Amino acid sequence: MDLTYTEAEEEFRSELRSWLSANIPDEWTRPGFWESLDDDESFRLRRDWERDKALAGFAGIQWPTEYGGRGGTPGMKAIYDEETVRAHAPRTVNPLGLTFLAPTVMAIGTEAQKKEIIGPMLRNEVIWCQGFSEPGAGSDLAALTTKGVRDGDDFVVNGQKVWTTNAVHGDKIFTMVRTEPGSSKHRGISMLLIDMHQPGVDARPLKQMSGASEFGEVFFDDARVPARDCLGEIGDGWRTAMLLLSFERGASGIAQYTEFRRQYDQIVEVARALGRDKDPVMRGTLARVLTELECLRLHAMHVLTQVEQGRDLGFEASMTKLQWSEAFQDLWEVFDDVLGEDATLDSIDGIDLRPLHAQAMWSRSVTIWGGSSQVQRNITAERVLGLPR
Amino acid sequence: MFFALTDDQREFDAAVRGYLAERFDLEAVRGVVEDPAGDGHPASLWKAAAEQGWPAVLVPEEHEGLGLGLVEAQVIARALGAGVAPGPWRGTVLAAEAIRLAGSPEQQAAWLPRLASGEAVGALAPRGSAPGTLPAVEYGAVADVVVVRSGEGLALVEASAFSATPQGSYDGTARLASLAVDGTGEALPGATAEIVAELTARATVLVAADLVGIAREALSRTVAYDRDRQQFGVPVGSFQAIKHALADLHVGVTMAEHAALYAAHAVDAGLPDAALAVAVAKAKAGDVALDATAAMIQYHGGIGYTWEHEAHFFYKRAKRLAGQFGDSDAQRARIAELTIDTVPA
Repeated sequence: MDLTYTEAEEEFRSELRSWLSANIPDEWTRPGFWESLDDDESFRLRRDWERDKALAGFAGIQWPTEYGGRGGTPGMKAIYDEETVRAHAPRTVNPLGLTFLAPTVMAIGTEAQKKEIIGPMLRNEVIWCQGFSEPGAGSDLAALTTKGVRDGDDFVVNGQKVWTTNAVHGDKIFTMVRTEPGSSKHRGISMLLIDMHQPGVDARPLKQMSGASEFGEVFFDDARVPARDCLGEIGDGWRTAMLLLSFERGASGIAQYTEFRRQYDQIVEVARALGRDKDPVMRGTLARVLTELECLRLHAMHVLTQVEQGRDLGFEASMTKLQWSEAFQDLWEVFDDVLGEDATLDSIDGIDLRPLHAQAMWSRSVTIWGGSSQVQRNITAERVLGLPR
Repeated sequence: MFFALTDDQREFDAAVRGYLAERFDLEAVRGVVEDPAGDGHPASLWKAAAEQGWPAVLVPEEHEGLGLGLVEAQVIARALGAGVAPGPWRGTVLAAEAIRLAGSPEQQAAWLPRLASGEAVGALAPRGSAPGTLPAVEYGAVADVVVVRSGEGLALVEASAFSATPQGSYDGTARLASLAVDGTGEALPGATAEIVAELTARATVLVAADLVGIAREALSRTVAYDRDRQQFGVPVGSFQAIKHALADLHVGVTMAEHAALYAAHAVDAGLPDAALAVAVAKAKAGDVALDATAAMIQYHGGIGYTWEHEAHFFYKRAKRLAGQFGDSDAQRARIAELTIDTVPA
């Protein structure tokens, strides 16, 4: 058992810490700051800050330097995740690109794709969206009907995608498109990398139950994409997508723990302010969710160990998703318990609850996107436990 | 970062499990369960345990032990839980731990080699203090030496100084006894409040590990059964109502495995969050063991409710151990103290 990082990794930590402390204005760490901005303003501020961070060398931590990364270790990536949360760094504006597309490109992309995609993504010159879900294809992704018809060197794409993060701010979208006419289910799909700045692409915001618009819809009306801008083989998009989704594991559990634990402490603070922290039932409920958060931290250490040992985690990614998303949702349900009959008020005793309510609303989404909890349970039961389909 | 068992630790695990599978399987356990008047301490199993060094795991090498850590001890505890194995292993290990942590050099020399070799059987009284009556001592009736609370500290009481009355318990995979102790016992001079707390932490980790072993085995056996058992012309394990419950249990058991492993390491290494880690491990292990063993009965259907099926061994052992050294509610009360009453740095 060795729960420490190497000397080089700890050096990286202190270097990163000093950059973060010099480059994050105090104002940004104030609760409610980001919620007080409108979506465009928040996006712009975060995009520019993240670019500066990349230029300072704190991006693409584990990607090779030749593609614009830092050439670091998985441990450095975990440290990066943890420290950025700890320092209240703004959320990335390129989450789908960084979490999903970059590792997939590194795994199966062509040399040209690696060069063209990774660096500009890290510097936020290209904001990536994900085009998977459709109105008729959610959990049943293979039911997708967005079509791509070959026309010379291009595909001409028609259809609609939905639940697209950052749709209105996106520059490019990695999109699951049915490129073989008459194909069905998992066959005949390609992962096309489509430029969103063209007349055939229309992105519209989708207002969520929280009132925010992180998601949107993307309509393709004779949009064009060169056939060479396909990630993986043409017609082999299902395999590319499965590989891509498997990257949700990573070492980000440590960052999630750091963030969720801070939120737990915020909830405890509210309970204390309202004089509800001595109630034994409330204490038991809080301790129950804290237990799950601690387990998440340990699970993240387990995942990081497996990655460092070069082991394939395979379908264990579903367990990771279940643990963090369900624990996060439970955490915010406890918040409502703490507020009791005043659960919906914007403020109590002068405490502004709106930023916390925003998290609580967001928590309803995390057990749906990226594979719903029900889908993750099916995967865990069938692929990990070996129960029959 | 290396949060996992080493190859040596895995081999140790495989050795314990291998022995139980070959030489002390569930039929042998049944023999103990169905003989409630017996001492629940099969000689063949104890002899093998001693030969393989299970009681010696935490005893320092200078006292003829293996000198290993709580991580290795929780490996054994987990394997014994998975096998619902009877015997005074945990009590013997914990008595030795009390003597290692708080005993005088003479006490250590007198007891540690004998406990390590299995020649002497130890026990730890979880409740009460000497003089007095100490209830529900695991394998108290066969113990040569029992570690008891005495005043603010700890003391040794030898078999000649207590009388044991067996206590019936529906968990037939262990034996309990109430011990009447007249004197105060022979004090362990180093037993400060911190040492008493550390001993309790170590005991709690080993119980949590047993529960984790029970939970994983209960789940694995249920999955295996539901893969084969046909109803409505298909395996019942193909129904989502069952799949989702078993998937959630798999996640929960895995988390409890992480938690027990981490708690063992945290206590051994004296990490600052050791107290929290122990409470988390016990709360999680207790809950998941109760859930998994109840699920074992439910998802075997009627056969799981019968005496002839082994599900009740797991269920009853989990029921007993989930309450040991603080049940899940008590652990959560502790977690609340550590995370609500203490303002984070």
